[in-house]
Amino acid sequence: MFNDKNLEKFPLNRRQALKWGLVAGVGAVGSVLGVEALNRRSSSQVIIPPVQNSLSNTAVANPLAVLRDFDYGTVKQENGRTVREFRVEAHTSPIQLNRSTTFITWNLNGRVPGPTFRATEGDRIRVIFYNRAGHSHSLHFHGVHPPDMDGIKPVRNNTVMIYEFDAEPYGVHLYHCHIAPVTRHVGKGLYGMFIIDPPTPRPPADEMIMIMAGYDTNEDQKNELYAINGLPDYYMNHPIPIQQNQLIRLYVLNLIEFDPVVTFHLHANMFKVFRTGRTLEPSEETDVITMGTAERHILEFSFRYPGKFMFHPHQDAIAEAGCMGLFEVVGNAKA
Amino acid sequence: MSIFRFIGYFCSALSLAILISCSNQTPNATTSAPAAQSSTQASSAMNHSMSGGRKININSAILSELDKLEAKLGVPALSNKIQASRPYGNVEELVAKNVVTQPQFDQIKDMVTIEDIQLEGEAKDVDYMTKLALMKGHLMVAKELLDLQKPDQAEPHIGHPVEEIYADVEDQLNERKVQAFKEPLIALQDEVKAGAKDAAKVGTGFKSSMQSVDTAIAALPETQRNSPSFVLKTINGLLDTANSEYGAAIADGKISQLIEYQDSRGFVTYANELYDGISAQMAKEYPDAHKEIETTMATLTKTWPTPTAPAAPVSTSDEVSKMVKTIEASTQKVTKAS
Repeated sequence: MFNDKNLEKFPLNRRQALKWGLVAGVGAVGSVLGVEALNRRSSSQVIIPPVQNSLSNTAVANPLAVLRDFDYGTVKQENGRTVREFRVEAHTSPIQLNRSTTFITWNLNGRVPGPTFRATEGDRIRVIFYNRAGHSHSLHFHGVHPPDMDGIKPVRNNTVMIYEFDAEPYGVHLYHCHIAPVTRHVGKGLYGMFIIDPPTPRPPADEMIMIMAGYDTNEDQKNELYAINGLPDYYMNHPIPIQQNQLIRLYVLNLIEFDPVVTFHLHANMFKVFRTGRTLEPSEETDVITMGTAERHILEFSFRYPGKFMFHPHQDAIAEAGCMGLFEVVGNAKA
Repeated sequence: MSIFRFIGYFCSALSLAILISCSNQTPNATTSAPAAQSSTQASSAMNHSMSGGRKININSAILSELDKLEAKLGVPALSNKIQASRPYGNVEELVAKNVVTQPQFDQIKDMVTIEDIQLEGEAKDVDYMTKLALMKGHLMVAKELLDLQKPDQAEPHIGHPVEEIYADVEDQLNERKVQAFKEPLIALQDEVKAGAKDAAKVGTGFKSSMQSVDTAIAALPETQRNSPSFVLKTINGLLDTANSEYGAAIADGKISQLIEYQDSRGFVTYANELYDGISAQMAKEYPDAHKEIETTMATLTKTWPTPTAPAAPVSTSDEVSKMVKTIEASTQKVTKAS
C-alpha cells in the first residue's frame, strides 16, 4: 500500500558526499554508479555494526527500523529548486505494547513514530497528507513557515492536505497532530522527527534518532507505559550495537505528554549538546540533559570501552516503565 | 478544427523551445534533474495558467462532484476509482496511477486541480451540511451518555465538535450569517468536565448547543434539506466517517476504544434520523434503492446496541465497511439519476 518504504534511504546525502569529495567526477557518469561509490566509501568512514532485527518489516512499532531510518523524500527539481516530496497517510492500527497490553495507535504510514523527514536548509518541503483515520487530524511542523501551513486546521477523514514550505532553520524539529486534545492525538502516535541539515554538513557519524513518548493505555490522562521509538523496553532486550570510538550523533526528542519534563542520561560517558540542533559547535558537555515536552537536541559522543551501557531519563519511574535501553559497544579489531 | 490543431502544434513547439532553452541555461548543475522532470514542470505551469470554470479538487471532492468527470469521459465507476487512488501530489498522477489514460486526462485536465478551491453550489452545501451532521452525531451520543449519568464519557463527544470540526466550518457560518456558537459549546464542555453537577445548567447548555447546530443547518434552503439526493450525500459522509471510527475502536476482537465506538454510534444514529426524513419520498421514487438502503441500514445500526459498548462486537469492522459500501452504492444510483 505504501510506496514510501522504497524511497531513497542513503546514509549520507549528496551534498555531504560532494563536500567530502567522494563523488567528484562521478556526477556526470550517472547517479547509480555515484551511489554505489558513495555507499562503499561512507561505510569505510562510519562503522555501523550489523543489526539483527527481531521484528517484521511491517510491524507498526519497530524501534530498530526507526532508529537509523531517514526519509529524504522524493526529490524533484522545480523552478531551479530542490523539492522534497513526502507522502503520509494517517491510519489506525493496534500494537502490542507488552504481553498484556494492546493499544490502538493513530499513526502515519503504519508506523509509530512517523517517518523521520530529512532535508537540507533551503529545500522546499511538500508533505502530501492523506487522513484515513476517522477523526480529523493535522500535521503541525515546528520550524518557520507561513500561517496557512501551520497545521492547526483539521483535515477531515478521507481528505488530503498538502503542506508546502521552505525547510528552515536548520536544526532538529518535530511534527505532530495538532487537533485537540493534543495529548491524545500525540499519545496515540501521530508524531515524528523533522531534521533540517545545515548548508555545511555536520561531520560523518553513526546517526540515529530517539523519540521518548508515553502511552496512556486507560485514558486516565496519565501515562502507564513509556517508550523510546515506539515500544517499551525494546532496546533493553535488543541493545543497539555501536562501534567503539565511533562518533555517534543522536537526535533526541522528548514527546512525552502529561509528564512535564524528563532528563535524558547516558551511562559511563559524557555527551556534547547542540541545543535544538541550532549550532555547529556544542554549547556544553554533560551526561544529563533536562528536556520539557517537545524539546529536542543533538547529542554527540563516542564510547571508549566495549560493553553494554544504558540510556534513560533520570526520572527513574519513567525509565522503569519502558523508557530505557542499552548500547552495546563493539570493540575495534586489534591492529 | 484545423486552427485549433495548429495552435496545439504551435504551443507544443513553443514549450519544447522553452524546455530546450531551459536545459541550456542550467548546464548539469545537478545530474539528477533530467529533462523529463522539467517537462512535467512546464506542463503543470501551463495547467495553472489555464483557469476559467470552477475546478474539481481530486483530493477532496465528494463522489457527486467527481461524477462530472465520470460523465465527461463516460467511464463507469470512475468517481470511485479517483477516490480510491488518493492522494494525488499533482493532477498528472491521475495518469501515473492508471486512473485515466493520457488521452482521457487531456480531456479533463482543465477541470481538475489539487489546490484548495472555494466550493460552490451544491458541493459547498453538502460540505457544510456534512460537517454540521458530524457535530450533531457527536452531540446525540453525548446526550445519551449524559442521560445514563456518564458525564466523563460524554465529555469527549461534546469536545469533538469544537476540536475537530468548528474551525473547518467557521468561515461558512459567517458567510451564511449564522450566529457563532463556539462559546456555548465550550461552556457546556467545561460544565460537563467539572462533573455535570448542575443538571439544569447542563440541560440548558446542551439544548442551546443542539439548537445552534440546528439553526446552522436551517440556513440551507428547505428544498435542499428535503431532497433525497442531497440528504443521501450527507448520509454517505456520516457513514464513511462512522466506518473509519468503528475500525479504530476494535483491537483483538474487542471494543477497546470506547470513544471511537461512541463516535460511530452517534453518526449512524443521525444518519438514520436523516434517512427517516426522506424515506417516504425514496419509497415512492426509488423503490429498489430504498429497499436496499433501508434493510442494510437496519442491520448496520444493530452494530451499536447501546451507548456503552457490548461485551463482544456485534459486527466486525470488515462487515461494517461492507455495509457502508453497499449503502454508498445504492445512494449513488439515486444521486446520479437526479
